Amino acid sequence: GGRGMKGGSKVIVEPHRHEGVFIAKAKEDALVTKNLVPGESVYGEKRISVENEDGVKVEYRVWNPFRSKLAAAVLGGVDNIWIKPGSHVLYLGAASGTTVSHVSDVVGPTGIVYAVEFSHRSGRDLVNMAKKRTNVIPIIEDARYPQRYRMLVNMVDVIFADVAQPDQARIVALNAHNFLKNGGHFVISIKANCIDSTVPAEAVFAQEVKKLQQEQFKPSEQVTLEPFERDHACVVGGYRMPKKQKAAAA
Amino acid sequence: MAQALYVLYEAASGYALFEAHALDEIGQNAGAIQDSVSDLSRFGKVVSLTAFKPFASAADALDQCNAISEGVLTNDLQHFLELNLPKVKSGKKAKFSLGIAEPKLGSQIFETLNIPCQSNDFVLEFLRGIRLHFRRFIKDLKEGDLEKAQLGLSHSYSRAKVKFNVNRVDNMII
Repeated sequence: GGRGMKGGSKVIVEPHRHEGVFIAKAKEDALVTKNLVPGESVYGEKRISVENEDGVKVEYRVWNPFRSKLAAAVLGGVDNIWIKPGSHVLYLGAASGTTVSHVSDVVGPTGIVYAVEFSHRSGRDLVNMAKKRTNVIPIIEDARYPQRYRMLVNMVDVIFADVAQPDQARIVALNAHNFLKNGGHFVISIKANCIDSTVPAEAVFAQEVKKLQQEQFKPSEQVTLEPFERDHACVVGGYRMPKKQKAAAA
Repeated sequence: MAQALYVLYEAASGYALFEAHALDEIGQNAGAIQDSVSDLSRFGKVVSLTAFKPFASAADALDQCNAISEGVLTNDLQHFLELNLPKVKSGKKAKFSLGIAEPKLGSQIFETLNIPCQSNDFVLEFLRGIRLHFRRFIKDLKEGDLEKAQLGLSHSYSRAKVKFNVNRVDNMII
């Protein structure tokens, strides 16, 4: 990949509201993450190098919302992605690892991303990417059977899921019951026509939210991924949230 | 008095056996354990470590991980359980049971060793607590050791799955 935004225009990088995410301000603004492996692109994405106040060069990678649902959710104004420096994340539906690489940038050297992908074809790219990013633990397994990878995963702070399966809510629940801390969070990308293409997208999202509520999840927000993805929503919430102290109730 | 309950925990670095306590107070109430899980000082009263056997090598860990993943009882695991659980006399019923994450492995353990196993929400809550605090139960395990073991094991496990040649980077044939 080439170095975009180099030359003529001066680029300034500012922290985004979400910790670990940044915005590169040039002729056009771009969402970026701080490259954990400077000098390398993962999938041909552009890299931007800027000097900080101390004169040290810091490299960022452009995070394309048309290629990453998490980036689309961030630009869509989601209130909290819960994924931040130091987070331990279980990522279901890791595919070739393009978004996983940005999550790896966000959580940084003290975080961990357990990346689960079943397809062997994308799994190869995922495993290769993980060789250079030691905070990524690649797991080629079916996310429907979390028992199969129970030896490889600790308790995590966040589950991110982009599995595009009709039984997605059940898959996320099974993994949460095994690996998500009490009071942890989930971020799920829902593709309406993967679940039910016969009803309007909004009805599918509502139905999925209901399924999640039955599994000790507490959805707190929902954003659409328009204009980057059609009929997609991102639902975010908590798991086994602490009960609010009932004031003087019996 | 409630029957004794042990719990098998399979980690990337080895097999561990825990004993559950205060079962009379907890009953079979998963919620009661759930409340104690987040706090180690409380959870430490609910379970204690009986035994831990680290894997001998990376190759050994991969063999064990493949077997556990498929619900197969290995010789190593069998010996570990025989050595560390109370003896069961042949023809007699065990006075304890073993909590296990997955029922297929449980039924093999019962057939081979006559140890009754259970895999249910109650056991799952113990396993969640152990998974959260595991490092603190094993004295020799330093911060980050378990993650290193997971990293090495996940790469060998996953590379075998996608049939990578272990010695070189494969090229995709399109």
